[in-house]
Amino acid sequence: MLWLVSLVPVLAGASLGVAAPRRRLALGAGAGAALAATVGLALWGALGRASASLDWGAGLVLRLAVDDPSAVMMVLVPAVALVVAVYAAAHEEERGLARLVGTLVAFTGAMELLVLAADVLTLLVAWELVGACSWALIGHQWWRAGTTGAATQAFVATRVGDLGLFAAAGAALAGTGSFDYRSLAGLDGAWLHVLVAGVVLAAVAKSALLPFSPWLFSAMAGPTSVSALLHAATMVAAGAFILVRLHPVLDQVAWFAPVVMGVGVATALAGGVVALVQRHAKKLLAASTSAQYGLMFVAVGAGVPAAALAHLVAHAAFKAGLFLSAGIAMEAVESPLLDRMRLGRRLPVVAGATIVVALALAAVPPLGGAWTKEQVLAAAGHAAPAAGVAVAVAGALSAFYAARLWLLAFGRPVEGGDPALRRRPSPAEVAAVVVLALASGLFGLAWVPGAGAVVGRLAGAELVPGTTWELALSLALVATALYAASVAHRRGTLVTLGRGSLAEAVAPWFRLSSLSQAVVVDPTLRLAGALVRFDDRVLDVPARAAQKVATTVAAGLAGADRRVVDAGVRGVAAVAAWAAGVMDRVSERGFDGAVRRLAGLVGAAGADVRRTQTGMTHHYYVVVAAGTGALVLVTLLWR
Amino acid sequence: MLSAAIVVPLLGALGLLALRRLDERGLRLVALAVAAVPLVLLAGAWARFDPGTGGSFQLVEEVPWIPTLGVAWRVGVDGIALALALVSAVLFCAAVAYPVDTLGRPRHYYGWLLFLEAVSLGLFLTLDLLVFYVLFDLSLVGMYFLIGRWGHGDNRHAALKFFLYTLAGSLVMLLGILGLALAGDTVTFDMAELIRTQPLAGEGLRGGLVLFALLVGLGVKTPLVPVHTWLPPAHVDAPGPASTILAGVLLKMGTYGMIRIPLSMMRQTFADAALVLAVVAVVSIVYGALVALGQTNLKARIAYTSVNHMGYVVLGIAVAGAVLGGEEDGRALALTGATVQMVAHGLTTGALFLVAGSFWRRTGDYDLDAYGGLSGPAPRLAAVTTLAAFSSLGLPGLAQFVGEFQVFAGTFAVYPVLAGIALVGLLVTAALFLQMLQKLFFGPPGERHLDFPDLSGSEGAVLAVLGALIVAIGVYPRWLLDLVAATSAALVGGG
Repeated sequence: MLWLVSLVPVLAGASLGVAAPRRRLALGAGAGAALAATVGLALWGALGRASASLDWGAGLVLRLAVDDPSAVMMVLVPAVALVVAVYAAAHEEERGLARLVGTLVAFTGAMELLVLAADVLTLLVAWELVGACSWALIGHQWWRAGTTGAATQAFVATRVGDLGLFAAAGAALAGTGSFDYRSLAGLDGAWLHVLVAGVVLAAVAKSALLPFSPWLFSAMAGPTSVSALLHAATMVAAGAFILVRLHPVLDQVAWFAPVVMGVGVATALAGGVVALVQRHAKKLLAASTSAQYGLMFVAVGAGVPAAALAHLVAHAAFKAGLFLSAGIAMEAVESPLLDRMRLGRRLPVVAGATIVVALALAAVPPLGGAWTKEQVLAAAGHAAPAAGVAVAVAGALSAFYAARLWLLAFGRPVEGGDPALRRRPSPAEVAAVVVLALASGLFGLAWVPGAGAVVGRLAGAELVPGTTWELALSLALVATALYAASVAHRRGTLVTLGRGSLAEAVAPWFRLSSLSQAVVVDPTLRLAGALVRFDDRVLDVPARAAQKVATTVAAGLAGADRRVVDAGVRGVAAVAAWAAGVMDRVSERGFDGAVRRLAGLVGAAGADVRRTQTGMTHHYYVVVAAGTGALVLVTLLWR
Repeated sequence: MLSAAIVVPLLGALGLLALRRLDERGLRLVALAVAAVPLVLLAGAWARFDPGTGGSFQLVEEVPWIPTLGVAWRVGVDGIALALALVSAVLFCAAVAYPVDTLGRPRHYYGWLLFLEAVSLGLFLTLDLLVFYVLFDLSLVGMYFLIGRWGHGDNRHAALKFFLYTLAGSLVMLLGILGLALAGDTVTFDMAELIRTQPLAGEGLRGGLVLFALLVGLGVKTPLVPVHTWLPPAHVDAPGPASTILAGVLLKMGTYGMIRIPLSMMRQTFADAALVLAVVAVVSIVYGALVALGQTNLKARIAYTSVNHMGYVVLGIAVAGAVLGGEEDGRALALTGATVQMVAHGLTTGALFLVAGSFWRRTGDYDLDAYGGLSGPAPRLAAVTTLAAFSSLGLPGLAQFVGEFQVFAGTFAVYPVLAGIALVGLLVTAALFLQMLQKLFFGPPGERHLDFPDLSGSEGAVLAVLGALIVAIGVYPRWLLDLVAATSAALVGGG
C-alpha cells in the first residue's frame, strides 16, 4: 500500500501527459486531484508508519519504510507540489503544458519514493529518477536554444553525486551483505568511510552546495513553476533530507561533522554574496537556495538534524512562494531582470503576499522561517561558536537580499512612473502565492512557548536551546541589514549593486561555471577528440597492416593457384576440344556430338572454377585454410 | 525442442529462396513467421525449465556424430544460455520485422537473417565445443554478406575488415579450444564433461596459454580494447537491422563464450588471470565511453558505447571468476549482472540501431550536427530514442541499470578500486547520450529538418515491443533474475 504514495502521482502524471487535456482548468483540476489524493495517502502512511518491500530477485530487495523525518517530508512534498501544479496549469506557456504539468506530478512521485526509501538501492533508484525528471522539466521548452544544454549540464553535474550513491551501495553490500538502512549500523572500517563519503558527495551535489552550486543556475532555463518545486520540496531538498535521515549512520565517522559544516558555512556565505549582487530575479533566488541549504547542512553537521528538517519545511513554503511571485513579476514586465519591475502599485495583492514570504526568508519574527533559522544558529553555536557567528552573518546576508528582491520587484518606483503591465496574473496564480504566504505565517506558531518540543518530536530528534546573546546578535544583524537595504533603496543604489566588474564576476557564482568548463568539461572533450584520432590512427594500424599483408599474400597464393589449377583446367578443355576436332574429322556425327558436349561441359566447369577464384572471399579462405592447418598442426604436435 | 529452434529457421532460410513469386512485403511476413517459431519454442523451453537447479544443463538432447573425437550434436541450456537465446530470438524477430531497403533482393536478405538466427541460437544452445566453434565462424559469414550486400558507404571494405579481424580472432580461439579438448585423458568436446573434469587445472604455462588464446579470440568478438577497431566501421556501414543483430546478438557470443568456456572449464587458471581481464574491462569501459563522446556520427557513437557496455559485462565475468572460494554473494551478483547487462544491452542498443536505420532511410545522413529540433515533426521517434538512450546511460527503472548496478555492487566486494574507476564511465555515457538527444531532437531546427516523417506503424510497433521489455526489466526484473541467479550461484560456487 505504501507504494501507492509514489505510484499514484507517477501514473497520474503519465496519464495527464498522454491524455493532454486542452483546457487549463481541466489540467489544473486533474493535477490538483491527483496530488490531493497523494497528500491523503501520505498522511495515512505517516500516521500508520507502514512499510513495504518488493523482491527484485537475486538478493535485491526494494524496501520502503516511514520514520520520523520521512513522515514529515512525505506530506510536505505533495502539499507543495499541489500548490505549484495548480499555479503551473494557470501560469505557464500553452505549448506542451500538459506534458509540463504531467511531469511535475510524476516528479512528486519520484521524490516520494526517495523519501520513503529504506535501503540504499531504492534510494539510488529514486535519486536518479528525480534527476531524470529534473532534466525533462528544465529542458521542457526544448524548442528554445540553450534549454536542453542547460538540462544536460544540470543532469551531468548532479550525476557526479549519484556516483557517490553507487559507491555507497557497493560499500553497504560488501560490508554488511545488504542494502538495508537498518543494517548500516553494523558497518565499520573502510566500507563505512566509503559509504559516508558517497552519501555526502551525493547530498552536496543534489542540494547545489559548493562546488556544485552553478548547476542550479543552469536549471533556471526551466519554467518558473519547475524552479519552485525543484528548490522547495523535490530535487534540491533531497540532499539535506538524506543527511537528516541517515544522520545516525553518517555521524559515526569523525570527519563527517566538520566537512558538512564547512561546506555548509562556505555555501551559506558565498551564496548570500552572490544573491546580493544578482540582477536576475530567479538567479537571485537560486543563489539563496544554495545558501539556505548550506544552513541546513550546518545544522546536520552540528549534530542537530531536527533543526535542519525544520528549516527545510519553512524554506519550502517561503521559497516556493517567492518563485511563484517572481514568475508573476517576470511575466508582468516580460523580463527576468529586477531593474525595471517595481510592481507594488500595479499588483498590490501579490506584493502583499510576497512581503510575508520575503520576511520569512529574511528571518524576521514572528514568521516561521525566523524561528527555524534561530534553531540552526543555536545548533551551530552549540557545536562551535565561530560557526554560530558565521550563521548569523549568513542570516544578515539573506535579510539584505530578501529585502532587495522585494523592494526591487514589488517596491514603489523611486523615480518615474509605474511600469506598464504586460500580463495580469490569473486568480489561481495569485491564490497560490497567498496560500504559501499563509503557510509561512502559520509556521510562526513555532514561536509559541513549548512548540519547540512538538517540532522536535515530529522530527524525531532533540533541538538545542539557543542562548540569549546569539538571538540578540542575530536579530540585531537582521535589523541592520533590513535598514541598510531600505536606505539603499531610497538612494537608488540597490539595483546598481549588480553593476560593475566586481559584481559581474561575483554574480555568476564567482564564475565557477566557467572554471569547471575550463578545468573539467573542455579537457574531457579534448581528450575524447584526441582518443578518437588515436583510435583511428594508432590502434587500427596493426589491423590495417595485417589486412594489407593478408590481402597481398592471398592474392599471391591465388595467383599461383590460378596459374597451376586454372592452367590445368584450360589444358583439359583445350585437349578435349582438340580431341573433338580430331574426332570430327575422323568419326561419325553421333560420336562427335557427344565429344562436343563433353568439351563444352569441361569448358564451362573451368569457367565456374575461375569464377569462384575471383571473389575476394576466396582469397581469404586460402589464407584461412593454410592458417587453420598450421594451427591444428601446432596443437597436435604440442600434445 | 531446442534442436527444432535451430533447424526451423535454417530450413526457413532455404525455403525462402524458393518463394520467387512473393513480393517484398509478403516475404517479410513469411520470414517473420519463421523467425517467431524459435521464440515460441524457447518460451516453451522456459516454461519447462526449472530455475531452481542451477548447475546442471537442462532439456538436453544428444545425437552421436563423431564418437572417436568426442563430438556430438548436443543441445541443452542453463539459465544464462536460455536468457541469451530468448533475447536473441526477440531481436531476430525485431530485425526481420523492421522495414529496410533490401535493394531488390528481399529473398536473400531475409534468408541470410534467418540463417544467422539458426546459427546464433545454435551457438547459445549447443553443448559441444566443436559445434560452438563452427557456429561462431558461420555467424561471421552471415554477417559478412548482410553488411557487404545490403550496407552503405564503404560497406565492402567494412565487411571485409570485420570478417578478417574476427576470423583471425576465432582462429586463435580454435587453438585454445583444441588445447582444452585434447588436454584430458580422452579427447572430448562435450562441454558438460569438460566442466566436470577441469582438464587444465594445475598446468601453469599450458593452461595460461590456452586461456590467453581463448580470451583473445572471445575478446575480439566482444570487443575489448584494443582489439575493437573492426566494430565501428562494420556498424556504421551496416543496414540498421544488421547492426541490431551484430550488437545485440553477435557481440554476446564473445562474452557468453567467456562464461561457458574459460570461466566454467578452467576455473583455477581463470582466477589467476581475472585481475588482468578486469583491468582490460575497465579500460574498455572508460575508453569506449570517451571515444563515443568524441564521435560526431550517430552510428559510430552508438557503436562505441557498445565497447563501454560490453566492458561492464566482461568486468562482471572477471569478478565472478576472481577467486576460487569466498565472496560468493558478490561474485554471483556480478555474474547475474553481466548476464542481465547482455540481455539489456541487446534490447537497448538493438533499439538504438533500429532508430539509426530509420534515420538513414529518411535522409541518408548520420551526421549529428545536421539535425536538430526533430521533436517537433517526429515526437514518437524522439520519445522512443529518449527511452532507449536513458536505458543506455543506466537510468533506474530501465533495463540496463539493473545489470550495471549488479556488476558495480558485485565488483565493489572484490576489486573496489576498479569499481570506482569504472564509475567514471557512467558519467561520460550520461553526457554523450544527452548530448546526442540534444543534437537530434531539441533546440532550433537543423538543416535536415523539413519533411522528416515520424515513425511508421511497423517501425513504431517493433520499437514499442523493445521499449516495453526495457521498462519491464527495469521496473520488475525478477522474472529475468530468477532465471539467471541460480545458474550464477552454481557457477561461482563450485571450487
